[in-house]
Amino acid sequence: MNKLFPTQEVGSLAKPRWRLKGYRGKLLSQKEIAEAVKWGKKLRIEDLDVLVKLLSERDSLSRRRAILEWSAKYVIRFFESVGLGIIFDGEQWRSEMYEHVIKKTAGFRFLGYVKSFDYRYFNKAACIDRPKYVKSFYLDEFLFVKENTEREIKVPFTGSYTLVDWTFNEYYERKFSREIRDFKRRKFEAKREFLFDLIKEVIRPEISKLVDSGAMWIQIDEPAATTNTTDEEMQLFVDSFNETVKGFNCTFSLHNCYSNYEILAKYACKLRNCSQLSLEFANRDNKQIGTGNVRAGYKKIKLFENHGFHGNYGLGVVDVHTNFVEPPELVRDRILHVAKMVSDPRRIYVSTDCGLRTRTWEISFRKLKNMVLGAELARKVLE
Amino acid sequence: MIGCYVTGLLPRSTELIEKTRAYERGRISKKELDESFLEGTEIAVKAQLSTGLNYITDGMLRWQDLLRPFTESLKGVTVGSLTRWFNNNTFYKQPIITDDIEREKDVVGNVTYLDKLPKGLSWKAILPAPYTFVSLSGNHYYKDTAGFMFKFAEIINEEIKSLTEAGFSYIQLSDPALVHEPLTSKSKEDVLSLVKDALEVAVKGTSIKICLQTFFGDFLKILPEALDFPVDHLGIDLYGTNFEKLREYSFEKGVALGLVDSRNSLVEEPDELTEIAKEIIESIYCSNIGEVFICPNCDLDFLPWKRAKEKMKVVSSVTERLREEFS
Repeated sequence: MNKLFPTQEVGSLAKPRWRLKGYRGKLLSQKEIAEAVKWGKKLRIEDLDVLVKLLSERDSLSRRRAILEWSAKYVIRFFESVGLGIIFDGEQWRSEMYEHVIKKTAGFRFLGYVKSFDYRYFNKAACIDRPKYVKSFYLDEFLFVKENTEREIKVPFTGSYTLVDWTFNEYYERKFSREIRDFKRRKFEAKREFLFDLIKEVIRPEISKLVDSGAMWIQIDEPAATTNTTDEEMQLFVDSFNETVKGFNCTFSLHNCYSNYEILAKYACKLRNCSQLSLEFANRDNKQIGTGNVRAGYKKIKLFENHGFHGNYGLGVVDVHTNFVEPPELVRDRILHVAKMVSDPRRIYVSTDCGLRTRTWEISFRKLKNMVLGAELARKVLE
Repeated sequence: MIGCYVTGLLPRSTELIEKTRAYERGRISKKELDESFLEGTEIAVKAQLSTGLNYITDGMLRWQDLLRPFTESLKGVTVGSLTRWFNNNTFYKQPIITDDIEREKDVVGNVTYLDKLPKGLSWKAILPAPYTFVSLSGNHYYKDTAGFMFKFAEIINEEIKSLTEAGFSYIQLSDPALVHEPLTSKSKEDVLSLVKDALEVAVKGTSIKICLQTFFGDFLKILPEALDFPVDHLGIDLYGTNFEKLREYSFEKGVALGLVDSRNSLVEEPDELTEIAKEIIESIYCSNIGEVFICPNCDLDFLPWKRAKEKMKVVSSVTERLREEFS
């Protein structure tokens, strides 16, 4: 891609009601089917009558599979329609970034819900045995996307450090209880072994399949990257990334958000074969048009630059936590502001802060459309 | 004396979780949610009683985070954005200080199910320590940290007195921030001196056992200064503290040993924990053994309810064994 300021999204898009209920095997209301038709027409999806017939059918394995394919196709067209250059399927095949991988891997048991905050919870698993690859968890989805778009594809891939950090580490802590007496040291060594076993047994085999099947760009999602800010833990995170991507003939990038950038910036330059850091910034910024001091949300780019990160930025210019639709001029100015801060404007890829799964399709459509328009405005200024 | 208790929020049961989700989606009324919390509290209290804990809390099921009752009810504080809770995949809402903070009514008393606490037994209440509350707040009002910390310590002091009147006999001040971040050697002395002064304000004129419970970090960071803090007991997270080094210190105060790991579902072997506890107790007390409590290292709400109950049993079992050892 030679055009300045390529546009991309980060991963998820909300799942429509017909995808959620349909996949659960529930019957859909006329209203929900009408919603599918409405978006289908807007996105110029062909053979909508086939989908309507499918949605009216009774639950079966083949119906569920077909619903996944239809909703992936919808999102691919959605991203194409707004004009994004680099896309995936909005993670329509995945229940959630953590559960999806863990459920398809041996060695884990879900223990139930634990608190995330307030009345929000997440289903947390324990590692009860050495993790073992059972079946692929991203490959079919990737192959479907590949067949259904001509656009550049970036595969979102939940990183090993996050999977480990979000899991109770029973197996390895038990194993090390015989070897290491000090609890703190035991926990750390158990985490390290869990992490590298997971990478070797599960993560790399899946990447290998993706690469062999033609994946050119894999984005490693690591929301937990700066959860533990000690040097030892941050080095472990870096080592896990480097081990994950080692030796593959593929482009890799890292996505991290709502995080401690002071810490991440210190370690980002140690990530090998990391072509892009996709980071959230719009959430930290204000809504005024302009470049310079007004763009306070982007000042931390300097940290990454000063610490010697030379790769590209997936620059978050669209806030995924608000329904405010960023005007193209605001997107433009966010891009132009950062273009002045980095050595080469070609290092900027225009992106959302994170996946858009918490926004409605209406809002996401408008936000992305404006993001693409804003990138075009910025391009005009510099070209 | 060797006792045991929990050290923070207990997890909500699967049923209660379902109710809170249903409430958030508008499927049940506030009244139904309140009833579910009442039932949940009964279960949480019963679990502590049946496992043989000495000091009983109401489970703190309503607390959204350790600071929230204060964040929501103190004058001069507004509820800020979600912020990571130390090195966990959980989040709290940051207190934003916009004005001089004031306590207009009971804070903890108003979110505690006093009626559900067992008559004739000892009750424990848990509050944020001044240092942690100040460290985790967004301060847009006070010019200096010390002024803010003393003001919050005064509020804690009023709370302790009010809780004592309500029938509580044990107060835990939770202070994770004090041990989580490294204290530089230059600032350490000043910080710990300020913490000590703030604790003096918090405990002034009170007549109740008070424990400063630290977690998510290394207790060694605040030694030896913590040995002079004006509290009865010091709580130590043994999953963040090297206990071989801890054994080099000599204690006169009581200790609360966070021996059970609230952040891993693996249920510990009581034998191993008993042995470690015994070694620590024998090392840190030269002659007379102080008051010792066995407890989880932090809030059990990092675990699903069933696993938390098993952990409480381990706490109780280790306590029993130690009592036999030291009888």
